[in-house]
Amino acid sequence: MIRVDPNLFVSLRKDKNFNAQACFHCGTCTALCPVGLEILPRELFRFVLLGAQEEITKATDTIFSCLLCGLCEAHCPRGVKIAQNIRTLRSYLVRHEYRIH
Amino acid sequence: MAKKIGVFICYCGGNISDFVDVEKIAQEIAHEDDVVRAKTHMFVCSDAAQEEIIREIKERGLEALVIASCSPKLHLETFRRLAQRAGLNPYTYIQVNIREQCSWAHTHNREEATEKALRLVRAGVARARMARPLKPIEIKTIPAALVVGAGITGLRTAVALSDLGLTVHLVEKEKRVGGLLNHLDRLFPYGRQATELIEELRREVERRENIHLYLEAEVTKKTGSVGNFKLTIVGPEGEKEVHVGAVLVATGGNPYVPNPGEYGYGAPGILTLLDFHRLIRDCRGAKRFVFNGHPVRRVVFIYCVGFREKKGHRFCSRYCCAAGVYAGLTLKKDFPQIEQFHLYRDMRTYGSLERLYHQALEEGLVFVRFNETHRPEVLETEEGLTVRVKDELTGGKELAISCDLIVLVTGLEGKEQQKLVDVLKLPVGKDGFFNEIHPKLRPVETVIDGLFITGACQAPKNISESVASGLAAAAKSGVLLLPGKLDLEPQIARVNLQKCSWCGLCAEACPYEAIVKEEIQGKAVARVNPALCKGEGACVPVCPEEAIEVQGYEHQQIKAMIDALCKETA
Repeated sequence: MIRVDPNLFVSLRKDKNFNAQACFHCGTCTALCPVGLEILPRELFRFVLLGAQEEITKATDTIFSCLLCGLCEAHCPRGVKIAQNIRTLRSYLVRHEYRIH
Repeated sequence: MAKKIGVFICYCGGNISDFVDVEKIAQEIAHEDDVVRAKTHMFVCSDAAQEEIIREIKERGLEALVIASCSPKLHLETFRRLAQRAGLNPYTYIQVNIREQCSWAHTHNREEATEKALRLVRAGVARARMARPLKPIEIKTIPAALVVGAGITGLRTAVALSDLGLTVHLVEKEKRVGGLLNHLDRLFPYGRQATELIEELRREVERRENIHLYLEAEVTKKTGSVGNFKLTIVGPEGEKEVHVGAVLVATGGNPYVPNPGEYGYGAPGILTLLDFHRLIRDCRGAKRFVFNGHPVRRVVFIYCVGFREKKGHRFCSRYCCAAGVYAGLTLKKDFPQIEQFHLYRDMRTYGSLERLYHQALEEGLVFVRFNETHRPEVLETEEGLTVRVKDELTGGKELAISCDLIVLVTGLEGKEQQKLVDVLKLPVGKDGFFNEIHPKLRPVETVIDGLFITGACQAPKNISESVASGLAAAAKSGVLLLPGKLDLEPQIARVNLQKCSWCGLCAEACPYEAIVKEEIQGKAVARVNPALCKGEGACVPVCPEEAIEVQGYEHQQIKAMIDALCKETA
């Protein structure tokens, strides 16, 4: 059970480059990913939108194994800055999960 | 009564000639009595072939025309016009269908298909031999229309009819005009206030001398037929009879009210979309979004409530997705701090309305897709409302969303208005909405000539679509009434007054109530109203005296056709 909490999204949105909400779940990013990430970018962003903190923590390894190659970003029909969003998520995890400042 | 008959047979580019030997038919039919010309064409409907036939009719002095081709549904009118251009009466043209009723049906046996086609053509010739010239029946029309319902569709339609110079009687059962829009807030896509729109139209209607508005009134009686209806309007000022040429129904739809307990409906904090419109309108002025004295921080919208169900309304109410999304955008604009979750089954913001959905996504409204087999569950706890839902986009992970307000996005269902249905004889469909005669080609006409349906009484529609259909019906009324007279199809039932002894069987058989009893010189006989009769002939076989016939399909003609069909067998 995910307890929905938009605060996470609200705080991530302070970064003006974060635009995961524009995603309409077509799955192009998943099809293109050369690494074959365990958690799909679209699903990851969905957890962010819903504020599923635990799910994101669970996905930490995946978030850090992204190559940031930007292949998905170049093909996203909704203009989601996928690589940039992953960076934002990384910095969030560094600050809040690992408490490294 | 010898007559010069021309027979033209169509290849239909192989559609007929692949399975029927059309040349053989032309040779054989040329030997029939009265046939002075029999010829084939690759496409009879082509301009070149039509011109050649016209020339032959004139040169050879043909008096009747038979074309063996496709279904009359496709080209009867085309070839009637051809006959007319050649100087023949269009009713001396007979179409024989050897495509749908022969070549397409008997692709396995060319020989027998040819035999059948020959017999059909021969029967056509027999009918042509006896075909009498008929004249369209002309009736005078009244340059006035009655519009039932003064919601946005009725108001706009009344203004359009008035623009055409027609007198309009606008009947509204409520105390004020506007209908459903009186209860709405801002409207998509431009955010106009619904009440402003209505006020604008109300002033326009008031300004016009040829629009008569009847409030708190209803139509209680209708007699007459297309071009000449008599209707009784009952209102606070009593009864009034009006004469009009056309009737336009714009009674709208009924906003669905969920059953008690449907997604928790009935509990405080659970509203329909209509309630939400009122709430946001009130809260905007106060600049605080408050429900029952409590500030609202989070709202959940649930879509498809009451529609697309196996039991109840099976159809999609189609405008509610856009209405729900737009309500969300309005809320976001006025109260940006309020969090919103939109729980939907399928997002159907069709056409340019898709823009609203994309805008909503970008503004951070969270959309959660659920499956109809795992519907959102509404729980009332001590802390308030919680909605549990399985999110399809995370592979069915269950979410718990606590919230202060739940909006059930409801659509339009057919209105319960049996009285009006009985008075106007409106055709009601299974879904409770009124039925048009053809969804694509005659979308605002009904089976009753001169009776139009417009707006959301026909199907759930948004305002643009409702008004568009209202204007279509106004234009149709204009075409019908502005010439001042109306030509009706002459192939209708006719009573032989000598033979008729009024038993009433024909009147019972008629689905259009076109036959009434009449006294002529002390004798009771049947009378056919030419404006109501469709010439479909249900009255003919039931008459024990053979006293009623459809013109163009007289007994004599039909018998001659049967003889021709079974010439060899007899």
